[in-house]
Amino acid sequence: MSDATTPIRFRSATEERPLTRWLLVGLGAVGMSVLVFAPLIAVFAEALRDGWFAAVASLGNRDAQSAIKLTLLIAAIAVPLNAAFGIAAAWFITKFDFRGKAFLITLIDLPFSVSPVVAGLCIVLMFGTNSLVGGWLVANGYPIVFALPGIVLATMFVTFPFVARELIPVMIEQGRAEEEAALTLGASGWRTFWTVTLPNIRWALLYGVLLCNARAMGEFGAVAVVSGKIRGQTATMPITIEMLYNEYLSVAAFSMAAVLTVLALVTLLLKTALELRHADQLAATHRH
Amino acid sequence: MGRPPLIHRSPMPGLGISMGITLTMLSLVVLLPIGALLLKGATFGLGNIWDVVNSERTWAALFLSFRLSLFAALFNLVFGVMLAWVLVRYRFPGRRLLDAAVDLPFALPTAVAGIALTALYAPNGAFGQLAAEIGWRIAYTQYGIFLALVFVGLPFVTRTVQPVIEEIEREVEEASATLGASRAYTIRRVILPMLTPAALTGFALSLARAVGEYGSVIFIAGNIPLVTEIAPLLIVIQLEEFDYDAAAAIGIAMLVISFAMLLAINLIQVWSRRRIGYV
Amino acid sequence: MHIEIDEISKQFGVTAALHPVSLAIPSGALVALLGPSGSGKTTLLRILGGLEFPTAGRVLFAGQDATGLTVQERRAGFVFQSYALFRHMTVFENIAYGLNARPRATRPPKAEIARRVTKLLELIQLPDIGARYPSQLSGGQRQRVALARALAIEPRMLLLDEPFGALDAKVRKELRQGLRDIHDTTGLTTVFVTHDQEEAMELADMVVVMSMGRIEQIGKPADIRARPATDFVRTFISA
Repeated sequence: MSDATTPIRFRSATEERPLTRWLLVGLGAVGMSVLVFAPLIAVFAEALRDGWFAAVASLGNRDAQSAIKLTLLIAAIAVPLNAAFGIAAAWFITKFDFRGKAFLITLIDLPFSVSPVVAGLCIVLMFGTNSLVGGWLVANGYPIVFALPGIVLATMFVTFPFVARELIPVMIEQGRAEEEAALTLGASGWRTFWTVTLPNIRWALLYGVLLCNARAMGEFGAVAVVSGKIRGQTATMPITIEMLYNEYLSVAAFSMAAVLTVLALVTLLLKTALELRHADQLAATHRH
Repeated sequence: MGRPPLIHRSPMPGLGISMGITLTMLSLVVLLPIGALLLKGATFGLGNIWDVVNSERTWAALFLSFRLSLFAALFNLVFGVMLAWVLVRYRFPGRRLLDAAVDLPFALPTAVAGIALTALYAPNGAFGQLAAEIGWRIAYTQYGIFLALVFVGLPFVTRTVQPVIEEIEREVEEASATLGASRAYTIRRVILPMLTPAALTGFALSLARAVGEYGSVIFIAGNIPLVTEIAPLLIVIQLEEFDYDAAAAIGIAMLVISFAMLLAINLIQVWSRRRIGYV
Repeated sequence: MHIEIDEISKQFGVTAALHPVSLAIPSGALVALLGPSGSGKTTLLRILGGLEFPTAGRVLFAGQDATGLTVQERRAGFVFQSYALFRHMTVFENIAYGLNARPRATRPPKAEIARRVTKLLELIQLPDIGARYPSQLSGGQRQRVALARALAIEPRMLLLDEPFGALDAKVRKELRQGLRDIHDTTGLTTVFVTHDQEEAMELADMVVVMSMGRIEQIGKPADIRARPATDFVRTFISA
């Protein structure tokens, strides 16, 4: 027999050959570069085509400023409302037992499977001037469609499930024991919520709010249908990007796109940080 | 015996307020608007809806949306499973960056994605020029739409499959090897079947998202009727012409497709839970 | 089959899981690797099965150097602590797996596979569960299915990692006898890992007591009980 030091190349039973591994990693990296990284770089490259000054100046004009303000305003209304809904829905679903719970969850998730354009269409049909409700509201001086309330409603529709679907799995996992303990110790319902439940779900809540906000500020399809695209009044940032792009004002369009891209990158960064630091308090699917 | 009560008694506080907020907001924001669409459809009549949908242009748009969404979702199924495997099982420089980047299509506004992809793949764009040299046009053709739909659906499969791969016990793979199975056989007969339910769920989500997608597509599509005009765009066009009936008809057709896919997702999950005791 | 472990050592990074150990297992023996967790017993078992590779040393099967054999080539029937049954396959498909995985040239025909699976189900005294899924079985039934699956490939030896670890006390006692019976009918060289000294003493012909990556004592149960070689063995078996 050969001596014991003869080198033998061992291969683990649960790994692929190194060549296969590198091939797969390479394919993944190339695919992601072409599909994700390249468009990301393209946004900034196009925005800075005529230099920093042109890019920043394009954001300074009045219409651009009003678009930015409008988008911030919409997010400031829609996101807290959806967060409140998410907390209430998660509380109702996880703290009580009732018939039809699964159906309720399906209804809450519904907006994720409805096209944003169809969502916008629904709101136009409900509140537009030709509809019963909309006609009455317009006659009394409260237009919904082609005005701020319609855009907020459309935004809320498409971002509706975000907070609730983060909170529900986390609150199911945490159970009811801590709240029950607080109640037996004499705490009121509100006190129990603020001092026991909320601290336990705060990171999951933040996670949901983060995603909700990113989508709210970036929503295009639903808002395009209900906004009427009135420059300086109902044109949000994404809508303004479309208008500028269609007018061949490429630098201005991409400069505004760059602002939203930075927002998206910050969102991803915070989201990754949450997944790394507070994984135990997030829904299980986000723990890597 | 009898049926269980509608709501079980519970010592938990806040039943009234949480139920009130949940049902009121759900109704106002989601259910009533969808009801308005269905009501519009009902007054318009099934026959009239069929007449609108049955026009050449609408069929072409619905068929295009569905067909390209299917191709994009299939691409994402294969690429997504592969990417999930790479991200969970291999260690290589830049893995965290790649992992975080998977979510970018969720975070990036669709309009931004649309103009960025167009800038890259238009005939004068960085990748478009390369493609043009071999006589291939991507932007303003169906390839462009496919590309945009792949982009928006990219995260779904990876994100549903990743946790399942993480939970596969090493011992199961080792057991397969000790029984004499090659690595390829183990992947085909043990690992892929375990990933199938999650992968199918991700596939269906990706498909549903693609069928309804608007923002990222319209810039790169070219929007030529019968050729590169997607169904959601047709709704927008009808609305701009104030033809609410026609818009509602196409909207209902798309809603039916969405509900069918939602049902499919639920059936996949029920099937996998019953068969193998997990999702 | 006669197994020889020749100066096997294993390093995980800077920690030594096994200091050079040597051990000869006669053909047809039923051997227990006994020791507390971290004693290196599972590592040694996995090295025998080809799931782990030694840093130095050799493994010989029937006098032939088997150190370089892949896990597939070793043909060791391995029963895992968690049983590692394929949960998307029926019991029948689980047991037939190793035969179906063979290349076409050596794969038995379908009818032959079915015949063998039926025979194995009878051997483990569960003839009627072929159509069930692992999730529908009790812990004891799963263990026996894992055993049948390992036997289906006509292994050269049987390796079991804490085969009774996940079971409650009553079932454990029953299955001990079951393993003994299967060992006696098949005549396979069998090595099992356990931390339970009573289990090792009752079941094995030969017990190998391990601690901190070293073999403390090798012997018949009665000899180890009567004459513990080290302080460690004395305290461990009286626990």
